[in-house]
Amino acid sequence: MLAGSIPPFVPVLLAALVAAVAPRKIGHGLGFLSTAAVAVGSLLVPAGTYLTPRLFGFGTVLYQVDGFSRTMGIIFGLIGAAAVVYAYSSGAEGTQTAAALGYVGTSLGAVFAGDWLTLVFFWELMAVTSTLLVWHHGGRAVRAGFRYAVAHGIGGSLVLAAVVWQYAAAGSFLFGAAPGVVGPIAPALMAIGVGVNVGFIGLHTWLPDTYPSPHIAASVFLCVYTTKTGVYAMFRAFPEGHLWIAYMGGAMAVFGASMALLQEDMRRLLSYHIISQVGYMIAGVGIGTTLATAGAFGHIFNHILYKALLFMSVGVVIYRTGIEDITELGGLWRVMPVTFAAYLFGAAAISGVPGFNGFVSKGIIIAEAHKSVANVVIGPSSVPLGGEDLLWWLLIVGGVGTFMSFIKLGYYVFFHGPASVDPEDAKPGQAAPMLSVGALCLALGLFDGVLFEVLPNTAAIAEGYTTYTVPHVVESVALGVAGFAGFFALKGPLSRATWIPDVDRVLNPAVFFGGRALVRAVTESWAAVDRAVVAVASGATAVGADPRRYAFEGARRLPGFAVAAPTDGGVGEIDLRSSIGTGVFLVVLSLAVVLVVLFL
Amino acid sequence: MSDVVLPLLVAVPVLAAVAPLCLSLLSSETGWYVAAVTTAIEAGLAAVVLSSVYGGDRLVHAVGGYPAPYGIELVGDGLSAPIVALIAVVSLGVVGFAYTGGPRRNSFYSAYLLLVGGLMGVSVTGDLFNMFVFLEITGLATYALVAADRSGRSAVAALKYLLLGTMGASFFIIGVGYVFITTGTLNMIDLSERLAGSYATRPVLAAFGFVLVGLGLKAAIFPLHTWQPDAYTYASDTVTTFVSALVSTVAAYAIGRVILTVFTTSFLAAVPLARTAVVGFASVSVLAGGALAVVQTDVKRMFAYSSVSQFGLVVAAFALATPDSVLGGVVHLVGHGLMKGGLFAAAAILAATHGARTVDDYARLGYRSPVVAGVVAVLGIALVGVPPSIGFLGKYYIAVGAVRAGAWPLAAVVFFSTLLTLAYVARLLERLYFASPNAAPDRASGALADGGAATPTSGPTSAPAPSPSPPSDPDAADDTAPDEGDTRTVRGVSTGMVLLTVLAAVAVVALGFANAGFETLLDPFLGGALP
Repeated sequence: MLAGSIPPFVPVLLAALVAAVAPRKIGHGLGFLSTAAVAVGSLLVPAGTYLTPRLFGFGTVLYQVDGFSRTMGIIFGLIGAAAVVYAYSSGAEGTQTAAALGYVGTSLGAVFAGDWLTLVFFWELMAVTSTLLVWHHGGRAVRAGFRYAVAHGIGGSLVLAAVVWQYAAAGSFLFGAAPGVVGPIAPALMAIGVGVNVGFIGLHTWLPDTYPSPHIAASVFLCVYTTKTGVYAMFRAFPEGHLWIAYMGGAMAVFGASMALLQEDMRRLLSYHIISQVGYMIAGVGIGTTLATAGAFGHIFNHILYKALLFMSVGVVIYRTGIEDITELGGLWRVMPVTFAAYLFGAAAISGVPGFNGFVSKGIIIAEAHKSVANVVIGPSSVPLGGEDLLWWLLIVGGVGTFMSFIKLGYYVFFHGPASVDPEDAKPGQAAPMLSVGALCLALGLFDGVLFEVLPNTAAIAEGYTTYTVPHVVESVALGVAGFAGFFALKGPLSRATWIPDVDRVLNPAVFFGGRALVRAVTESWAAVDRAVVAVASGATAVGADPRRYAFEGARRLPGFAVAAPTDGGVGEIDLRSSIGTGVFLVVLSLAVVLVVLFL
Repeated sequence: MSDVVLPLLVAVPVLAAVAPLCLSLLSSETGWYVAAVTTAIEAGLAAVVLSSVYGGDRLVHAVGGYPAPYGIELVGDGLSAPIVALIAVVSLGVVGFAYTGGPRRNSFYSAYLLLVGGLMGVSVTGDLFNMFVFLEITGLATYALVAADRSGRSAVAALKYLLLGTMGASFFIIGVGYVFITTGTLNMIDLSERLAGSYATRPVLAAFGFVLVGLGLKAAIFPLHTWQPDAYTYASDTVTTFVSALVSTVAAYAIGRVILTVFTTSFLAAVPLARTAVVGFASVSVLAGGALAVVQTDVKRMFAYSSVSQFGLVVAAFALATPDSVLGGVVHLVGHGLMKGGLFAAAAILAATHGARTVDDYARLGYRSPVVAGVVAVLGIALVGVPPSIGFLGKYYIAVGAVRAGAWPLAAVVFFSTLLTLAYVARLLERLYFASPNAAPDRASGALADGGAATPTSGPTSAPAPSPSPPSDPDAADDTAPDEGDTRTVRGVSTGMVLLTVLAAVAVVALGFANAGFETLLDPFLGGALP
């Protein structure tokens, strides 16, 4: 079958090459076709291992299909196609979409890799192509892109080190050679290296820094691939899960939502929400049960849909108004009804309103946190809401924060007094992908069985989880009520707390000055070594070029040497010729020394 | 029955040495032909020895039919065969060199042949006292040859060599006396067996010290070298070529023979201080000799100090006494003989054609005498140890031996010796090829061109400056006198002489590929210990 012989990254990367040189229409057309073909192909290709060449003398698998990579392939292809259409309508240049398609292609290469070597190869290429995508916009994006590249360079190096260590421990790069990453150090390196990509707290600063800065269409691409590939790699590295990772996920859910609440830049708010949402996925991967893992992949799938939708709708607002600050906007629901509808779908989905897809996958993860984690139990189970684990609480609080921040975003942009500007609504080419993605969000929420079909571990979900139960719906409604109440209660304080900085206020200068100090230390010590070597070498050259003068000058300063003064400015003579008597003395002395040494 | 060549190797030149004296009754120019025939015979005999030993034989001849240990044994093995071959080749070559270069007096060739016989005797004898006898023959003949220049300076140099050399020989015989007292035998193999068990006794230790200092003096190890620079510098150029290539070489061989065959590695293992002392002495010699060579202005003196350095390396290799280092010592002995003989011969030709005696005199000679200067360059670079050359091979084996034995200081010394060698060779090369055109001294070409006062244009260091050193120093006083025509210089330069130096250079490079041959040759002697 054709789909089994061509790895998905090939057509997309070919389309990227064409898009780089071809006219805009042809490039975008090919990009759409290739990504749509990947989505369809991923759905149809039977599971199995294809293309196993030996690279650099190692056994590798360029193309491996199982339930997990299939899910990734379908959603990556699907949203890639929608984003290409959106990019075309939003006036993206051909070269920008070429970089975006390169980014999509390398991400597909990473998620369809069957071994760590191939994965890390595409992983690094993802960092390169996404940096190009950011840089393409110029201006503020250049500096942000540079910080992005540095962060991913460090993260990629850690992953590479972990992969090398993994090879040393397992003897093979193949995923099948060991259950995840094994050994004493490699898992830690891998967790931190992948943690950069998924935005572990403290390693996340590149994300809200970069994603608001480039072209609006570039943001749609960026919000999809890097973090989700990271979650996928985290699952490959820790297929059995890990409690610390689960708690990190819970903390990310709360942290991302809290920071999002403080933002006034629309895309920056959405970027912090990526951290929060990825936190749910990481929590699912970390819990590690079959159901939790399936929930994590379901959340990847759904999140890509609604987060891309949100970026698209916000992008349309920016596209039409040129304004990025929510406090300067307001009342747009009348003038941009289509965009508002799209936003509403996305916000409902991300907040987990029943009937939307976010409700389904977030529900699985929260239910698993309730059922399978009992590590840091808070309160006795006899009192109401007692007996739940810390992780569950984190995810619940994150849910409230999500409601609050999307109420905030929607309130400020679409209500919040009368419209101060009178922009046009979304173009048809922008509306079409938004509305189809929005419809998909609703459809997958209503017909959750369809969603389960494309997820891995379908049987486990069908058996272990029912989406629409009374407690689930009650829980969601409670979150929504808490979100509304919380936002309108805290609206005033929140608008005054926007000065609260993120850790990048400290981290960026620390990295900059620390790096400069490191560079200075290295270059200065090298320069010292260099000076010493040059001094020795030039000294040796000077002595070698005129040894007699140095010998004479040395001998002149020593007592007991017969030296003749230099004649007519030249070099003087040293008399080294010993008399016969001196010779005899030296011989006898030598004999005495030798005999004394031997008799000792 | 090829062991009969061993006594012939010694007897033929010693007997032939009488012939020039007798033939003087007829003509004063017959000595050369006797020497030529004799050294040609020696070369044939040496070829027999070399091929037999290369085939795996160990030649043994009991002199007069008296069996060892009572009689005197002559032995040809892997250690002596290359030395025998070197002596034969160099003595034949120098005779060829002397055809035009002189001297042509019959008495010179008597001493010459006597020296060849003595050198051969030291190389093939298997008896310690017999070795002393041949060392004395070698020494006496060398004193005579050094003095054969008939200048005052050479006479003083020969006297210095005589006095010090006699001391060295006395030390050697005192040491031999100690081992004879201890064991009652003089045969080397027998001695090695009887010495076992009494290594740490004082007579044996004293014997080792006396023998090593005595032979070290003959081999001109620093600080026992004081006779050597004067002897090499003031002897006539032909004699220097011969003496520098062979006499100290044979003394260094004797050191190797005594350490390896008489005292054996068991002694070195039982008395680790002995090995440390010899390696230490030799290492000092390497560095001091190299440093002294660097600061010389006179080319012959520079080469003389270079020998102090190189023999230090050889003695250190023998004292380390691992298979690699011994192989390296032998290869470097042979290589040094060829390289230094060739260098002195080339220097003799340059002195004769351009009057060039100092480093500054060599300015731009690379363009005026390209062939001979090219020989100097090739041999000098080989002496540094640049492959492919036998100079590289010897140093390489010694360095490998030092590294394998974990003797890192010695490995460092080998490295520094290379640097020092490079320093003085580079000075020569710089003068030969890269001196500015107006630095070339304006000298009349000719055999006696070095005479007269140094011209001011030849640079401040080109001639010995008037020395205010005390007049009681005979050498210094001698030096202050202006040269009245340099009697050391060869009588003339023929194409054949140039060709001989070229042959030396070619041999030095060609032997750089002979590593397998040397390994085959020495493997039986080293007990099959080579990898």
